[in-house]
Amino acid sequence: MSDQSDNPHKQSTGPDIETASRLASDREGPAIVSRRWLLLKAGIALNGLVGLALAVPIVRYLLAPVRKDDSYKSWISLGAADSFPVGETRLVSFKNPWTQPWDGETDNVAAYVRKEGASQFTVFAINCAHLGCPVRWFPQSQLFMCPCHGGVYYADGSRASGPPERGLFTYDYKIAGGQLQIDAGQMPSLSNTAKLVNIPTPGQNGSAKDGDCPCRG
Amino acid sequence: MRPAAMFALPLVLAMAGCGRLPGATAAAGTAPRPEEVMDFHALYSANCQACHGASGQNGPAMDLGNPEYQALVDDATLRKWISGGMPGTEMPAFAQSAGGMLTDAQIGAIIAGMRREWTKPNAFGGATPPPYAQDQAGDVTHGQQAYQARCASCHQGPSRQQVTSTAYLSLVSDQALRTIIIAGRPDIGQPDWRLQSGLASQPSAGNIGSPLSAQDVTDIVTYLGSLRNPAAVSAAPLPVSPRR
Amino acid sequence: MPGMKQTAKQVYDWFERRLQVEGPIKDAVLHKVPRNTASWWYVFGSAAFTLLMLQIVTGILLALVYVPSAAEAWNSLNVLNHQVPLGWFLRAVHGWGSNFMVAVVFIHMAQVFLFGAYKFPRELTWTVGVFLLLMTLGMAFTGQVLRFDQDAYWGLGIGVFILSRVPWMGGGLVHLLLGGPTIAGATLSRFFALHVFVIPGTLLVLVAMHVWMVLKLGINEWPMPGRLVRKSTYTAEYNKLAHEDGIPFVPGAFWKDLIFSGAVLAAVAVCAAVFGPSGPGGQPDPSITQTVPKPDFPFLWIYAVLSYLPPSMETPFILIAPILMIAGLLAVPFVAGEGEKSWHRRPVAVLALTSVAVAWAVFTHLATYTPWSPHMSAWSGDPLPVQYLRDATPLVRQGAVIFQAKQCRNCHSIGGLGGERGPALDAVATRMTLDQIRYKVVTGGGNMPAYGKNLSPPEIEALVSFLETLHPANEQPAIDAAQQATQSNAAPAPASGAGGP
Repeated sequence: MSDQSDNPHKQSTGPDIETASRLASDREGPAIVSRRWLLLKAGIALNGLVGLALAVPIVRYLLAPVRKDDSYKSWISLGAADSFPVGETRLVSFKNPWTQPWDGETDNVAAYVRKEGASQFTVFAINCAHLGCPVRWFPQSQLFMCPCHGGVYYADGSRASGPPERGLFTYDYKIAGGQLQIDAGQMPSLSNTAKLVNIPTPGQNGSAKDGDCPCRG
Repeated sequence: MRPAAMFALPLVLAMAGCGRLPGATAAAGTAPRPEEVMDFHALYSANCQACHGASGQNGPAMDLGNPEYQALVDDATLRKWISGGMPGTEMPAFAQSAGGMLTDAQIGAIIAGMRREWTKPNAFGGATPPPYAQDQAGDVTHGQQAYQARCASCHQGPSRQQVTSTAYLSLVSDQALRTIIIAGRPDIGQPDWRLQSGLASQPSAGNIGSPLSAQDVTDIVTYLGSLRNPAAVSAAPLPVSPRR
Repeated sequence: MPGMKQTAKQVYDWFERRLQVEGPIKDAVLHKVPRNTASWWYVFGSAAFTLLMLQIVTGILLALVYVPSAAEAWNSLNVLNHQVPLGWFLRAVHGWGSNFMVAVVFIHMAQVFLFGAYKFPRELTWTVGVFLLLMTLGMAFTGQVLRFDQDAYWGLGIGVFILSRVPWMGGGLVHLLLGGPTIAGATLSRFFALHVFVIPGTLLVLVAMHVWMVLKLGINEWPMPGRLVRKSTYTAEYNKLAHEDGIPFVPGAFWKDLIFSGAVLAAVAVCAAVFGPSGPGGQPDPSITQTVPKPDFPFLWIYAVLSYLPPSMETPFILIAPILMIAGLLAVPFVAGEGEKSWHRRPVAVLALTSVAVAWAVFTHLATYTPWSPHMSAWSGDPLPVQYLRDATPLVRQGAVIFQAKQCRNCHSIGGLGGERGPALDAVATRMTLDQIRYKVVTGGGNMPAYGKNLSPPEIEALVSFLETLHPANEQPAIDAAQQATQSNAAPAPASGAGGP
């Protein structure tokens, strides 16, 4: 404990070093000093360059999930087209095609299949067009109701009341080998139609038109 | 943080001591998946009691708590109505296979629960009721006579108990009529097919004291069914602008 | 004893010789503050800091058990609740600590605003504070996501739909937020990183800046009417105030900070012990449609506002309002950086604060019972009051069945049960005539869907005749002029009250 003799409350080292360096620079003259500044600048430039070189892969890594919608989607079978009764709307669920082993239950997706004719379907996304909450189908009153903010839709998916600006989202579908298939994999949202849309007149099927649906990419 | 310690210490001691704080109880359950709910009371109160009444009584629809009803209907029939709905009535389909929200196991739990809660031994007091399902052809003319003789004394008057209203009959099936005639609705004073209980308050109930025969029941239902004509209930014309 | 004391001193000196922190700490602790700032009004900032420390400690403790995987997060929370001894208590303390922290931060901000403490030279302290508020709310939201139950899932869904409204970049932003096309494993992982590394790290740096500036610039003096802030003279005036009529921060003001922080911690512990942890609710399985998502307490007001916007306002409001709100908060010290600090002379500030507080309270209160949402199981779960069906005709009884079976009850309450989206119908017959009821049922209007296509004529007749019976025993159903004329022709008007206005 040789430090005992020092006064711990006095900041002794700082001023000493400062004085010494000032004396040194006085001795060394402006040319040497300006060379050091140049080297400092070179050091900054080197770090900047390396930083930029590193930033490119980092940003690409960060932006990896940002892709075109289509690249996430694929055709999924919802079961035999004949298994859906004509004139009814049924809840179906399927596994998301874009999935990781640790997704757990979150890779389940639900949709409503409305069969209008022998091969005429409308497949609604479960997400309310307002803020995405899961709408529930009530066959008795032929309405979809949303539990979050009170959006209500008619059986054809058109808006009946509440805050949604538009009707329910629909999936593209096709019938292949007797199976009803939909083009899914992307959480439906307003991202492709982030603009004001006309609110269909209540009771008219004015919403489920082509191009209205982000699921179509 | 001395003050905190002052407050928290007894608390911590209490926890170490009994470990049964209200908060622990609040955290006790794990939220079940909707299809895993198997408790009869939870299922009944969420899915049935709005129409069939709390504890199966005093609802607008059939009183499931009536022991005679429980004795009259077998499990398979109950399952059929609950799963697929009852055609000709407002009873909706509850099975997932029919677009409802309940699994077959849950429907089984509801049936078992109703049996457990509402079945009474010897519900008919030794009498044999007419069969639940119609098993013979009905006769409209005899049905009308039987209705006039056995039912009309109560079911008359300008507004009350008008079961011959076309609109009403359009909303109930023959089976629903048959069931209520046989099992009655003790919660609202409708007697069973024996036409005895619940009639004390009806002074005009004269010639009705003996049980209806199975044929009477069938014929009355057939007669009432013949009055059913949904097309006759025209949509009342809408006023142009009734708004105030 | 003296020997031990001597040794302790030696050890202390050995460290101090190397660390050299005694001087700065003494400066900070003993710096003089204006006498009347040693007030109970000045305790909220330190309480927020204490809560932040509590959140960090309990957060680390929870992270010992929590599994940040979409497949296991929900299970690990249930293990915490049920199997880890007092795991439920740790979760409850963290959850209630979060609620208290948000509340205390808001109160702190309101107090600072009311006392004009954001004025020169403390503009940057306020600016950093605004970002601290945003970080606190960010912690609350990401924490709600980590709970990873149905509320978390659909709350995140709401976030997705809000982001997706951004023009051009909406889709990309959604992918970036979720780490993929849907809410799934990647989403939880990145929210874990946000909640545990990114936001707390930023929060700590900003807190350090915030406290540093409080120490360097001095605590805001108690506002006095007429004592105006001028950039040219303020510093001298403040130093005079602090040095001539000042007291050392410790213990003069600090004891109140300590007591209040302790009381807040005790309140968190009591709430945690009594009310327990929040959730987790149902499994994060998006194919479960029987769910009624609801955000946590700090976001209830947003939830309410979003339900009251007319459809045409949704996107503009959602995109513009947050920017305006944050810009407004940031602009406060630059718009009003000088002048009066006292609330006695700042009516606009007081009015603005009061309006915001009242609006916030009203929206939060509304969101606790969501009158705008249909009650999804009212139609099958809420029984009718028995007396409403006493002496009902078969047709009326059938109308009541239709009222239930067609989900009218989901939006209209009877006897206090049912949805509140539409008006309660207990006395609808006194407000509307038979024709008006029928018209409304068939054509809808306002926020009511049209039921004309979904009800058969007998169903409409039954339903309307049931609704016609809904009036108090001592009040007659409403009738229109034609009916009134018919009635008064048939029989002399019984009493003046029968017709109504």
